[in-house]
Amino acid sequence: MENVISLNENIKELCKSRAAGNFGDVMVVGGGISGIQASLDLATAGFRVYLVEKAPSIGGHMAQLDKTFPTNDCSM
Amino acid sequence: MLTYTEVENVEGEAGNFNVTLLRKPRYIKEDKCTGCTVCVEYCPVKYPDQYNQDISLNKAVHVYFAQAIPLITYIDESCLYLKEKKCRICEAVCKNDAIDLNQQPVKEDINVGAIILAPGFEPFDPKVREEYRYGEFQNVVTSMDFERLLCSTGPYAGEILRKSDLKHPHNIAWIQCIGSRQVIEGGNSYCSAVCCTYTQKQVILTKDHDADAKCTIFHNDVRAYGKDFERYYERTQNLPGIRFFRSYPSIVKEDPVTHNVTIRYSTPEDGVIEEEFDMVVLSIGMNPPKGVEDMAKQYGFELEEHDFCKIDPRNPMLTNRPGIFVSGALQGPIDIPESVFSASGAGSQIGEMLQYRRGNLAKERIYPEEKDVSQEEPRVGVFVCHCGANIGRIVNVPGTVEYCKTLPNVVYAQEQLFSCATNSAREITDKIKEEGLNRVVVAACSPRTLEPLFRDTLREAGINQYYYEMANIREHNSWVHQKEKEEATEKAHDIIRMSVARACQLEPLQEFDLPVDKRALVVGGGIAGMNCALSIANQGHEVHLIEREKELGGIANRIHTTLQGLDVQEYVKDLKSKIYQHPLVHVYHNAKITEATGYVGNFVTTVESNKGTSSIKHGASVIAIGIDMYTPTEYLYGQDERVLTHLELEEKITSDDEKVTGAQSLVMIQCVGCRNEERNYCSRICCSESIKNALLLKDKNPDMDIYILFRDVRTYGFNEDYYRLAAERGVKFIRYEPEDPPVVEPGKAEDKRDVLKVTATDYILGKKLELDADIIALAAAVVPSAATKEVANQFKVTLSPDGFFKEAHVKLRPVEFATDGVYLCGLAHYPKFIQETINQSYGAAGRVLTLLSNDIVVASGSVCAVNEKQCMGCGACVEVCTYGALELKETKQGKKCVVNPVLCKGDGLCNTKCPTGAIQLRHYTDTELTCEIDVVVPDDEIMKQIDAAAAADA
Amino acid sequence: MCSGRVDMGFVLRAFENGLDGVFLGACHLGECNYITHGNYQAQNMVLLFKRIMEHIGLNPERLRINFMSGAEANVFTESVNDFVKTIKGIGPLGKAEGMDAAELKTRLAEVKKLIPYFKIVNREKLTTRLEGHDHAEAEKLFTKEEIDRQFAEVFSYWIDPEKCQACMTCARRCPVDAIISEKQKIHIVDQDKCVRCGTCFEVCPPKFRAISKITGPVPPPPPEDKRTVVRKGKEEAAG
Repeated sequence: MENVISLNENIKELCKSRAAGNFGDVMVVGGGISGIQASLDLATAGFRVYLVEKAPSIGGHMAQLDKTFPTNDCSM
Repeated sequence: MLTYTEVENVEGEAGNFNVTLLRKPRYIKEDKCTGCTVCVEYCPVKYPDQYNQDISLNKAVHVYFAQAIPLITYIDESCLYLKEKKCRICEAVCKNDAIDLNQQPVKEDINVGAIILAPGFEPFDPKVREEYRYGEFQNVVTSMDFERLLCSTGPYAGEILRKSDLKHPHNIAWIQCIGSRQVIEGGNSYCSAVCCTYTQKQVILTKDHDADAKCTIFHNDVRAYGKDFERYYERTQNLPGIRFFRSYPSIVKEDPVTHNVTIRYSTPEDGVIEEEFDMVVLSIGMNPPKGVEDMAKQYGFELEEHDFCKIDPRNPMLTNRPGIFVSGALQGPIDIPESVFSASGAGSQIGEMLQYRRGNLAKERIYPEEKDVSQEEPRVGVFVCHCGANIGRIVNVPGTVEYCKTLPNVVYAQEQLFSCATNSAREITDKIKEEGLNRVVVAACSPRTLEPLFRDTLREAGINQYYYEMANIREHNSWVHQKEKEEATEKAHDIIRMSVARACQLEPLQEFDLPVDKRALVVGGGIAGMNCALSIANQGHEVHLIEREKELGGIANRIHTTLQGLDVQEYVKDLKSKIYQHPLVHVYHNAKITEATGYVGNFVTTVESNKGTSSIKHGASVIAIGIDMYTPTEYLYGQDERVLTHLELEEKITSDDEKVTGAQSLVMIQCVGCRNEERNYCSRICCSESIKNALLLKDKNPDMDIYILFRDVRTYGFNEDYYRLAAERGVKFIRYEPEDPPVVEPGKAEDKRDVLKVTATDYILGKKLELDADIIALAAAVVPSAATKEVANQFKVTLSPDGFFKEAHVKLRPVEFATDGVYLCGLAHYPKFIQETINQSYGAAGRVLTLLSNDIVVASGSVCAVNEKQCMGCGACVEVCTYGALELKETKQGKKCVVNPVLCKGDGLCNTKCPTGAIQLRHYTDTELTCEIDVVVPDDEIMKQIDAAAAADA
Repeated sequence: MCSGRVDMGFVLRAFENGLDGVFLGACHLGECNYITHGNYQAQNMVLLFKRIMEHIGLNPERLRINFMSGAEANVFTESVNDFVKTIKGIGPLGKAEGMDAAELKTRLAEVKKLIPYFKIVNREKLTTRLEGHDHAEAEKLFTKEEIDRQFAEVFSYWIDPEKCQACMTCARRCPVDAIISEKQKIHIVDQDKCVRCGTCFEVCPPKFRAISKITGPVPPPPPEDKRTVVRKGKEEAAG
């Protein structure tokens, strides 16, 4: 999760710094691994992103996994 | 980021969508909650925990899971107050007034230019079919349940326990294809693509938990088609106590006393068997996300036959509605890496569309000028955080503050309720100025999340940010020692003492800005390289595309159609013309890279090509060099012209070669040249390729006998439907084992025509079969391009054991290398289908843009530095640096190590190999670290111990 | 910073400070989130240092490395508790091994001087990657005999007073300023400072060959009054 978390932290920071300007806005629906990655990329590339997630936290199904194959890395 | 929010309505068009959002009440003020979880402790309601698959209980007010983002609580519908207007205990215990039980849903309108849909998937619910007994038998669980059981943050803290008696199960069975590959009501016809391998993962982890566990897997084909999956499959098979059965089992009964579950299955040797297991795991597949139909209506996109999003095979991230893109499992059942690169890819396409509205990443914040305090005596300020009650309830914070004041060099100490709150950060800035502090220690939580904030605080006060040190007295202390308050307070003293000692030794460091060259280099002009180049160029960046051959197109030049019927030649032609017409894409043919130097943002690559020798400057590099095909030595290939590879077969089908299309009988042999010792991987695409060719042949000549000799049919995802179709149209599938491969010999058929005789064992009938073949097609392996090693050396990137390029992280960073600024896409990464390649090449473009859209990249100050005098030039450090950041250079004083700080990642391995201590990782130097070790035990205590020891000796 | 950053020197420092045990927590082997995989090197370092401890008569159980992920708080707790139990069982450093404080100090000081030497002679093994999770197999990376031999074979660099022409080359190049030198005065290797890197040996001009690598005791340096170099050329001229 550290990976995902650190991604998330970056998003937050980037979103904050974008809030003021007149930037192209994008909505990403779904805060799983795919949605997080898309948001992060877009935010880093200069867009303001709304990441909309219906659950109380982002992370999606991947956050529920213990490890990931084939390296058995921690998925968090 | 808007969590706990639903999309209510979407209107408008690409470039201008009006979206109405509904923010559900958390009953928590997001800006006030610090995630301290005191409220959770006091909440009287216990309720099944959704995150833990309802296996364990949680409270009505809780944090969704321990690493949740945002890390704040929410109150769910089980709350007593929300139901019966009673309780309100949480309000009373929250020190930060973060609870608001009167919150109402809030509507919010936003205006966006584009939308990415990434709603994921819904795990298959085995309750829809009674025969799985899920919910009926206590010890039948789904793989998602089991995933939580395995996890240390799971319902039993990482213990695998049975629901019925909370005992460890020792004999566990997995049943594959639950809800997948079934044409029955409630089931899905497609293959869910991930279950085979996640089951293997669960087996390995189960064996880690309990080495004696017996694990049995009932499976159909084992679809280990991904990168490194074959080795993983082998690893699982080689574990002791593991059995794989190719059988469709049924769950028969539950023992009323032991609650063990009986499974009936059959094997070719022993017929039908009933066996009892302690636990049965259902390997459930993926369904389309819940409410996908409403979603399709809401956003106006079409669904395909399985209710996933209907996508364009030429651009799988597009929906039929402009401005709305899909990524992740809405495209179909896919694994994490595909989700990640489709996400980056969708991002890249939005970049193309909204290029004109891209923000400029100029630095907005201006910090006061930094004071040089390096010559001053250390003046340390310590701020001890209560973290609400998180720390304060366990650690005696005021006492700790007093203790801090006694430490050497500490000139100021105070407590704070929440150091991370905005006003507290301002307080730190003010105190730095008032008290003339030049070092700051905040004793609070993990540096992971908040260190950047506090470093910023120092910069605000005109102090170098590396003069900041964090003492973790929450995760490392108060959270662990909740019942040992005194000891915890003492430990807090120890931790802070160490931090203060280190703070005194810290040196100011500068992060440096590297300019980014806005151009990109794409190596390889196949489908991957061309798509990636176009997407980058469409976002306003110049791209140099270099192709080894005379023609663009790569291996796709030899492919005519896909299983889904895409006209590949038409598609490639279209891509080529787009490339040639694009003013920002420069193509080099017959090109060879002679030299590649530089680093992220500033590469220089020398290329010899039809344009002569060019020295290309670029900020990012994309490796898309594709693959080669294996030339078989097996099955008379090269000796008998009736033996073809599947690519050759496809060419002959397309050109209507009478010998092929008019054949009476054709045999295809799968897994030629891979899944063996030499190439221990699956080429992923061959099963589908063979089925594609078989279907094409059946179209042209329905009477042809076609046999496919396979080991496992790996038509994962929606390709499963074509496997079924081929079987329905009379293509015969015969399985063979690697130890007993088919034998091919020239011979005569009954009608005296010359044929190739193929002998194989039929495991269903249990006897030898002899097939007469007019043509044999071999599914030859996909092998890494011959140029792979050379390119890897030039760009300083690494290879996987199978010889394909190794991505930075198999799941999370699948389109980039660990080497910054170098990206990867296409078959050079691993064999994959055209649709997957397109996803990945847009993905790589998306990642490239995250670099190129910035004017600078910031490199950390915490990198290695060499004291040249002390360097003995032995090169031990150079050897261990996996990032190529170190190099030996000849000087007048002999060989000396030189650091390229841009490449250094700060792991510090080189430090521990250096005999003289010449190389030091700044911010983590020997001095900075040993001073902490020296104060682990406070001075007087050591003295006492030594005295005691001396006394004892005397 | 990676677990592979933990230096033998840090572990030694802890024991010098009188700590009874050192515990190193590292990521699971083979699960590096980067391409570094430094935890293998951390393990190698621990395996080597345990053998060194054994050689000087300290209980190697006082040093332990365990592997865990950041999400496995419970594993960490269990590992640390177990380690503390082990250390309490062993007893205080030195005393439990029947060593008095002075003896302990001497032996640790000896090891401290030899850390650069151990890094040099074990360079290859310290960077190997022991694949697979077989603990028993890993334990064999360094054998007791091997380390005993390394202790026995410690070499030194020595400047032959007869040959040294006080050219200052070695002194200028020594990475740790371990050569006592002055113009016109025979140079001496300060054996307490020397890290045995061999730089002096390599750079001593071939026409002098004044430096040699020797095992066993180092001959005492010439007394101060005999350190003046008598240049051969001058001698001849005088004669």
